[in-house]
Amino acid sequence: MGRSQLRYLALVGAVLMVVAACGSTSSGPAAKQVKVGLVTDIGGLNDKSFNHLAYVGLQKAIADFNVKGEVTESKTGDDYVPNLTNFASKNYDLVIGVGFLMQEAVGKVSGSFPKVHFAIIDGAGTDASGKDLQHSNVQSLFFKEQDAGAMVGVIAGMLEKNKKAPGNTNVISAVGGVSIPPVNHYIAGFKWAATMEDPGIKVLIGYSNNFTDPAKCKSVAQSQIGQKSEILFQVAGGCGLGVLQAAGQAKVYSIGVDADQKDADASVIASALKKVDQATYTAIKNVVNNQFQGGALTFSIANNGAGYSLDNIQLPSDIQAELDKVQAAIKAGSMTPPADIPA
Amino acid sequence: MPFASVLFAFVVGAIVVTVTGGNPIDAYQGLLCGGLGIACTQGENPALQIANTIVYTIPLITTGVAVALPFRAGLFNIGAEGQLLAGAMACTALGIKLHDWPAVILLPTVLVGGMLAGAVWAGIAGVLKATVGAHEVVTTIMLNYVAQWLLRFLIIGGPLELAEGTSKSLPIGDGAHLATFLPNSDTLQIFGLPASVYRVHVGLVIALVAVAVFAVLLWRTSLGYEIRAAGQSQKAARYAGVSVRRTIIVTMLIAGAFSGLAGAIQIAGVDHNLTDKYFSDTTGFDAIAVALLGLGSAVGIVLAAILFGALHAGGAVMQADAGISSSLVLVLQALILFSIAANFLNAIRLRIPGLGQAPSAPAPAAVGAALMTEAAVAPPQEGTTTT
Amino acid sequence: MSAITDILQLLVTANLWQVAMVSAVLLLLPALGGVISERSGVVNIAMEGMMLTGAFFAVWADLNWHSPWIAVLVAMIAGGLMALIHAVVSIRFRADQIVSGIAINIFAAGLTVYLVRTIYGLQDVGHVVPAEALPTWDVPLLSAIPFIGKVVFQQNVVVYIALIVLVLVEIVLFRTRLGLRIRAVGEHPQAADTAGLNVYVIRYGAVITSGLLSGLAGAFLAIGVSNTFVPNMTDGRGYIALAAMIFGKWTPRGAFVACIIFGLGEAIYANNSTIHVSQYLLSMLPYLITLVVLAGLVGRSTPPAADGIPYAAGSE
Repeated sequence: MGRSQLRYLALVGAVLMVVAACGSTSSGPAAKQVKVGLVTDIGGLNDKSFNHLAYVGLQKAIADFNVKGEVTESKTGDDYVPNLTNFASKNYDLVIGVGFLMQEAVGKVSGSFPKVHFAIIDGAGTDASGKDLQHSNVQSLFFKEQDAGAMVGVIAGMLEKNKKAPGNTNVISAVGGVSIPPVNHYIAGFKWAATMEDPGIKVLIGYSNNFTDPAKCKSVAQSQIGQKSEILFQVAGGCGLGVLQAAGQAKVYSIGVDADQKDADASVIASALKKVDQATYTAIKNVVNNQFQGGALTFSIANNGAGYSLDNIQLPSDIQAELDKVQAAIKAGSMTPPADIPA
Repeated sequence: MPFASVLFAFVVGAIVVTVTGGNPIDAYQGLLCGGLGIACTQGENPALQIANTIVYTIPLITTGVAVALPFRAGLFNIGAEGQLLAGAMACTALGIKLHDWPAVILLPTVLVGGMLAGAVWAGIAGVLKATVGAHEVVTTIMLNYVAQWLLRFLIIGGPLELAEGTSKSLPIGDGAHLATFLPNSDTLQIFGLPASVYRVHVGLVIALVAVAVFAVLLWRTSLGYEIRAAGQSQKAARYAGVSVRRTIIVTMLIAGAFSGLAGAIQIAGVDHNLTDKYFSDTTGFDAIAVALLGLGSAVGIVLAAILFGALHAGGAVMQADAGISSSLVLVLQALILFSIAANFLNAIRLRIPGLGQAPSAPAPAAVGAALMTEAAVAPPQEGTTTT
Repeated sequence: MSAITDILQLLVTANLWQVAMVSAVLLLLPALGGVISERSGVVNIAMEGMMLTGAFFAVWADLNWHSPWIAVLVAMIAGGLMALIHAVVSIRFRADQIVSGIAINIFAAGLTVYLVRTIYGLQDVGHVVPAEALPTWDVPLLSAIPFIGKVVFQQNVVVYIALIVLVLVEIVLFRTRLGLRIRAVGEHPQAADTAGLNVYVIRYGAVITSGLLSGLAGAFLAIGVSNTFVPNMTDGRGYIALAAMIFGKWTPRGAFVACIIFGLGEAIYANNSTIHVSQYLLSMLPYLITLVVLAGLVGRSTPPAADGIPYAAGSE
């Protein structure tokens, strides 16, 4: 039944790959082609979140700079070191580790290969005690998730304050995947900004302890909706898609994370963006242009590396004005969303 | 023969790859290169690939034993993973609390501590099986989940956490580290790469000793006789004066110690701290396949562990070089299990009793039966006495 | 003590039970499949893999044909085919049934991700739009009953289907000739054979039924609850269903009670923002409860006598 279609799709894929391969070899100039290896964490490429965005950034760089890009997905945490080492040992120019969980692996492998450039999303190259080894061949790509969280927090807080929310219950909530820094930064900014706009607001925070099972996040979301939450912020990757579903069914609002999740459900009014694709692209561009520098590179509202998108909603102009004001203030440094969740 | 099972899996795997539009030759070339350092085309370093395979193989050997030993007693230990986690947690906790002890005392302490923790974890299932007849498949699955959550409790906001928001533990003391065979040097070049990339550690020797202990225990001791007797027929074992209950408990304790050792070796030899990656570790489940493919013998377990270690290491290279999803490795692993289960398991008399029931010993069937189709021609006639 | 008070307060809210019901049904369908399979004498721990396969094919079919009912059909066929493999390997070839079950689970985990890569490349699998998802339906009149109405009669259609299947399985197994035959084959295959029953046909039928039910559960998870496919999204539910089956002593009603307990555990956990206890210890609770119950509170659990023992007719 589906077999023929499947084979057809596979064939198309194979043809495209061949075409792509021909294209890259024929157009290759005499100059040495830059080789980039991307290692995902255990979320894999279809995580609809940062692994996926890193891949998008790599694809854009391949198109723009004619670099050679390869991807390896880590099946378990034991794969980080071998997968990074594998690219480094083949003299790749840049090896990118995606995710906070790879810090020690990047720290170790970058020490073994001082001539290879490394970049790590959401972390630094550390030793086992969490100390940044500050290897000069490692670029840390950090994000101020709290900036993005704050923008969507402004939207939620203003909607409640101006009585423009579905039921004006004055309760909003966040569903986190696991209580780790990148997740909590988002929630910190969200709660901080919502409370700033509407001091009387109640912000519920729950964790699904899961990044892959939407049903688990849906349960958490439904519990929050049962406690009158009407704007739900998902910070749980693939699991969090369940939050968007729950909001849609209960006719309340939801907010997406990392990528623009407008298409996931009609309830998505906005998404907090973490532009991992831009970070990956920038890191590759720097290597191509021989401008690689070790140390931290932080992506925030200030350099458009974090932000928000408005999705299935038409915002009143006063809320839009407030959003623009807060964004300008964060950009100028006169407002700083906290990295830790306020009490 | 097990080789036929592996061959069968690779043939069917090739069909799967071909049907979905991939090139099986490229796929297997990637697997061979990544697993064994043979036939590399993209500049991979063969020595590095072999070293990676060995590092993956080490915990598979000891957890493979932890599954194989209860098999012999007619018990199905699906809890090797939970026991491994218990061992890793105990090793880490001891390595942190006693971090200033000298290596000669600390290293044995953390390894033995890991074994004890694993033994206790498996012992719970053993006691429940021996006393109230709770099926070990269910209890060990539940214990796996409990261990996973205990792990997160310890390292996220719990007593072993490095610092708030790090979701990993403090590092264990230097004295608790297992040495690597090659110096951990970034400057010394061996086989064209810095010595530090070859992570093979002394845990390899410990695992090989452990598997030898398993063989001696099973075939040269009275306990081993009792285990085998209980596995073939509990009724007959009782007539022969074997305490089946005691055997069940002791078997699970020993099995848990092997798994716990695997966890402790991973911490002491590779990671040096406990991280969230252990939450999604799968070694203890791969061990089931290792034990089955290894036909429960010491040499077989080592060979099977090498195969699965090589498949694990090879999957990543296959994906990078041939663009074929490393999930193919799981498909191959399942196919190997199917063909073994359909054929060879009966041949080595590894009859797992139906929940709570002990079937009588099956007659030894033709070990030489090759593929599934042959088994279909001549099905083994055995143990159907059920009443 | 505050954690216990928190939980007690939650237990009187209809919202908690409504959430628990969905979690319970996701376990109930595979658990009922397990009951049928094991009552006929075939140990089945492959529900996890059959459910995962069903989940993937449900999304794939729904995205292709834009109908949740075609998707359910495809998912059930996919689950049934996985079950058929288990049946052939463990009935025809008399393989160890636990090993075969584990192999199915590994196979499904590998195959689904492999198919995602092959069909969708490295992109998002895609989202099923709500109009093409399995619908929620309020039962007229009954849904207005206080508390019960919200918990039982304002649910996804699959919840109603599952409850009907529950009653059907209970009746068929214990009140019909077919049920008697299935149980006879599971308890005394020789005697059943002598009495003229075809042991193989009954066992094949039972195992395939477990695959159909698990596939349905997968479809519910994928296009009723989540509206997308995420690799490994079943997250161990098949194993919990297995525990529920044993917990319920191989009876449909017993399994149902156990599923409700696990569902409640999940629903209580989902309220971790309001319960004053470590969320990780709270997560452990359902598994600890199962261990304690197995340790003696329910007494010795006795499986069908021939469960797990391959049957070889003398004449074959």
